[in-house]
Amino acid sequence: MDDTPDNSQPAAEADVHHKIGLLTRQLHDSLNELGYADKLRGSMGELPDAQSRLSYIARLTGEAAEKVLNRVEQAKAQHDYIAAETRRVVNSLVADPVAAVAKGEIFNFLTDVERVTKEADTHLTEIMMAQDFHDLTGQVIARVVNLAATIEEQLVQLLIQTAPPNAPVPAEPARPAHLQGPVVDPENTPDVVTDQSQVDDLLASLGF
Amino acid sequence: MTTALRFLIVDDFSTMRRIVRNLLKESGFSDADEAEDGVAALNKLRNSKFDFVVTDINMPNMNGFQLLAEIKKDDKLKHLPVLMVTAEARKEDIVAAAQGGAAGYIVKPFTKATLEEKVTLILKKMGL
Repeated sequence: MDDTPDNSQPAAEADVHHKIGLLTRQLHDSLNELGYADKLRGSMGELPDAQSRLSYIARLTGEAAEKVLNRVEQAKAQHDYIAAETRRVVNSLVADPVAAVAKGEIFNFLTDVERVTKEADTHLTEIMMAQDFHDLTGQVIARVVNLAATIEEQLVQLLIQTAPPNAPVPAEPARPAHLQGPVVDPENTPDVVTDQSQVDDLLASLGF
Repeated sequence: MTTALRFLIVDDFSTMRRIVRNLLKESGFSDADEAEDGVAALNKLRNSKFDFVVTDINMPNMNGFQLLAEIKKDDKLKHLPVLMVTAEARKEDIVAAAQGGAAGYIVKPFTKATLEEKVTLILKKMGL
């Protein structure tokens, strides 16, 4: 294996960076000259929103993973406990069946099994509920993809406009979707509810 | 509690349909079918008997509001209770759902207890 340091990599990265800088400058100048700056600025204004949406996805997926791991760890500990108790009670039964029953070992064991089974069911339900992140993040991802598509569409329009010498025909501005999907920043979003109790209060105030 | 009521669960995400289906089953409602959007839901509602609709709002082809409107203007379906289970948390959406005839509104993420409570409440109001 060749251990010689590859010095061409940083140079190549710097070159790419320089080219991106030039493209950005050209785009900026062209937009100003063509009067497209305001149009694209509208989309760029949505980028901080896209960033908060991506943060929301990261947070939700992280919380879901944490929740699942916590529940699995608890369930495994309980499973280990029942497995150990089973071995112990079997040994007691083999050694002295009458004493095992008389001392309440069998009854206590069955009570433990019933309790742990119920708790295992709760863990499984919580693990299932944690998967709701798929729906919520899916909706948010769709909005971010939509934003990227809008920017792409506007850039394509810009290319079309700059190709012929004729006067430019501005593209239709993107219209915001009516349905907003999950609220990623409830503290800074007016007129939204943040939990089920607020939904219930609102409906109750309407007589429902 | 176990009843013979038949539920239709409408959501474009199969994960959420499975979650709702399992939660309903845990609450004693084991008879359920699924649809991925309002169009598929209407098709099933018009070709089979259901007692309860649990629907998302933000779906392709036909969203939950449109599905609700279609159900409420159909003489054969308008008696069906429609519970909206959605991530749409704007107050105007909640008001619109109520005014459109929705029987209940749950915001995602929700808990098993919330779903069970709302379904039970709606059934109680209907005398079921």
